[in-house]
Amino acid sequence: MTPVPTKEVTTEPRPPARTDRAVITAWSAVSPYGMGRAAYAEGITGRRPTESVPDPAAWQTPDAAACLVPGFDIRQILGRAGTRTMDRAMGLAVTAVRELFEEAEADERPVTRGAGTALVLGTTLGSAASQQNFSRASYLGEKPYDVPAQLMPNTLMNSPAGASAIRFGLKGPNTTVAGGRPTALLALAYARRLLAAGRAERALVGAVEEYSGARSWLERHSRGADEEQTAPLGEGCAVLLIEPADTLPEDRPALAELLAIDVRVDVRGDLPGTLRESVRHALAESGVDPAEVWAASGGGLSGDAGDHEQALLTELFGHEAATRAACHELIGDTASAQAAFQLAAVLVTAGADPASAGRAAVITSVDREGLVACGVLRLLGGAR
Amino acid sequence: MTAQRVVLTGLGVLSSIGNGVTEFTRGLREGRCGAGEITLFDATGFRRQLAHEVKDFEPAQWIRHTPLEELGRASQFSVAATRLAVQDAGLDLEELRGRRGLVTIGTTDGEARELDQLVESELAVGMAGLDPTAVRRLPAHRLALAVVRELRLPQAVPSVLGTACAAGNYAIGDGFDAVRFGEADYALVGGSDALARRTFAGFSRLGLVASDRCRPFDAEREGLLTAEGAGVLLLETLESARARGARIYAELLGYGLNCDAHHPTAPDQESVARCMGLALADAGIKPEEVDLVSAHGTGTKTNDITETRAIRELFGDRPPRTVALKSMLGHSMGAASALGAAASAVALAHGFIPPTVNHRSTDPECGIDCVPNHAVPAPLRIVVNNGLAFGGNNASVVLGRYEEDQR
Amino acid sequence: MSAITIDAATEAKVRDILANSLDLDSEELTRTGLFVDEYGADSLCAIEMLSAIEVAFGVTIEQDELENMVHFEAVLEVLSRAESR
Repeated sequence: MTPVPTKEVTTEPRPPARTDRAVITAWSAVSPYGMGRAAYAEGITGRRPTESVPDPAAWQTPDAAACLVPGFDIRQILGRAGTRTMDRAMGLAVTAVRELFEEAEADERPVTRGAGTALVLGTTLGSAASQQNFSRASYLGEKPYDVPAQLMPNTLMNSPAGASAIRFGLKGPNTTVAGGRPTALLALAYARRLLAAGRAERALVGAVEEYSGARSWLERHSRGADEEQTAPLGEGCAVLLIEPADTLPEDRPALAELLAIDVRVDVRGDLPGTLRESVRHALAESGVDPAEVWAASGGGLSGDAGDHEQALLTELFGHEAATRAACHELIGDTASAQAAFQLAAVLVTAGADPASAGRAAVITSVDREGLVACGVLRLLGGAR
Repeated sequence: MTAQRVVLTGLGVLSSIGNGVTEFTRGLREGRCGAGEITLFDATGFRRQLAHEVKDFEPAQWIRHTPLEELGRASQFSVAATRLAVQDAGLDLEELRGRRGLVTIGTTDGEARELDQLVESELAVGMAGLDPTAVRRLPAHRLALAVVRELRLPQAVPSVLGTACAAGNYAIGDGFDAVRFGEADYALVGGSDALARRTFAGFSRLGLVASDRCRPFDAEREGLLTAEGAGVLLLETLESARARGARIYAELLGYGLNCDAHHPTAPDQESVARCMGLALADAGIKPEEVDLVSAHGTGTKTNDITETRAIRELFGDRPPRTVALKSMLGHSMGAASALGAAASAVALAHGFIPPTVNHRSTDPECGIDCVPNHAVPAPLRIVVNNGLAFGGNNASVVLGRYEEDQR
Repeated sequence: MSAITIDAATEAKVRDILANSLDLDSEELTRTGLFVDEYGADSLCAIEMLSAIEVAFGVTIEQDELENMVHFEAVLEVLSRAESR
């Protein structure tokens, strides 16, 4: 038996439970507008469309249009070290996390890594392309085990979160949340619980979606009969930094406070009604009056459910609020990453208008599975 | 925020050694091994062809309001295990519907089994020819959504955690925090995975599949056997359990999560030790108070060495007895640590240690008492249950025998 | 009875496979450069090499040969005694 030195074990009680207040203090994105926060902000404020024609040979896709992250060559962007086996979803997530860290450094407000930093990343399926290719290899190989072992981790949903942790030394809780279109809101709720329980000092919360032929085909087959008119598929990863309000570093501006996140499932075949309840509940929990809502962003699901969602937001908050932070119309249907991009679009739009400070924002999302979520933020305009 | 005590009052189990908590408990006591020939996919051509399958699973017995063809096997499992847990807790569904709940299911592969079948069909008919009903079964969050819809829980928040093979413990931890701090009145948490050819092929190629039986901590261990299953735990506050006179299996005392941030597949000893340390600190338990470790214990060369070293790093050279349930259950992926927690709760409630079966002689490099082959009676007080995953995701949960006085 | 003759063509093919797994240009790989110590290979990389060689040459290499596959020449040696599939 190899002797192993016994270490002093830390069993002192955890620090006293923190308050439940969590604030968003930074964000970044890799989007169809390109790398980083500035590119996304510039594209969203300029309402610049990003549609292009995907090269059919490169993508094996039937799509006439898609919103792709331009020039996304993983090895060029992230360097050769540790990137040989990365798939696109992993590359997008790692790059978005890198952008957030680098931008924070450039702003001279670096973000601490290590054991106190959690990463909570949303997805729906993981990389459909990696999974399909791996499975195909088993069917097509001379032997059924002729699969590329080095790519097995890529078939798991947690590979983008794991790869980001390895790259940046994120040793705190590392959680992958599968939640469809609303997943970033689910991830925020999860991260808030982690912070409230003192399990991390800060959390990076985001969601990722890659474009691929596999996803495109699966998406086509999943559409309902009412989803003839759909936005082109988009891709990317948006990440937010969440910190407890009462331990915020002196020099870090708070962009928004997380007031409430309501998540529920339509159990009675009434998606619009369930969303209405969800919004009402989230507003009540936040103590926010609809008149205070400066921006309301819907999830952009195509078909009746998405139309109802947009109509509800307009009814409750008015046309201006409900259209102010446009997102999917510009960057396409980013599916799992959608709610993360909505959050980022709201922060961009708020950041460009000082009148937003002190008012509220509502982010909603519904998906085909009957999952409904509503988040309410207090926009802080960078104030404490 | 006042923290409530959280207890476990219902267990729902599907496993290769038995379905339902009664059969599962009997299996653990007898040291049953659920290994057998693979029947769920064509294993022709694989050099080794054994796995642990759930037997006698009749989805229609559990799924009454959802068309069966809408649910993949992993979602069917999560629904069935949840129904079993609710029943076992003696809870009325009507009553649950009026309470705020959390339904969090961990999984490694989601509906990978369905995707495998789609790929097989795609190779014959092309992507354009796929069956939309089958495609719609794929989204992983269905594992929790199916539960909430089938049981009609309008106030339940569904989540699926895809933290690979530690996902069950991740889900339990999430439910623990939600109930402990009053965000939810109850939590139905655990894990579910169905046997998938893709995963089997991957582990085969990695050379991690055993030729006959999974023998954790054994000097001649060859690896793991892949498995399927589901474990769902019903968590509620002690106050709520007392008010309704519920039977309490165990108290959930705390948990720990961390990430190696080191390698996609190789575990990291120091990080695993730190994870268990975090869980004990969260639970307010000293290492010397721990009576049993339910190890991740996959039966691979690397895992068992690394994990037992981590255990000795934390507990010293006389560590608590350490068992590997995967010897009986196989490696049920995202369900594994949930089944481990269920077994830990059963062990605490009934006062016995489930054995590490298929055992011949302990690897001296492992240096633990793995309770070989036969269950032993033991008045357990504290159990630590580990889940370690690809991606360096670690999660440990601490369970205690329920005692009226606050520990 | 071995299935493979080690000739120049075989060597070139093996070199390409190894270099690809190690993320090197083919000419960067020396005959006795240690995969782990000199090229930073890990266990996953080793299995990738073993699998790729199995597929390329239609042979079976037992897992316990992994510990012998420490550099290019050693891999050729292992391949020379591999059985066909």
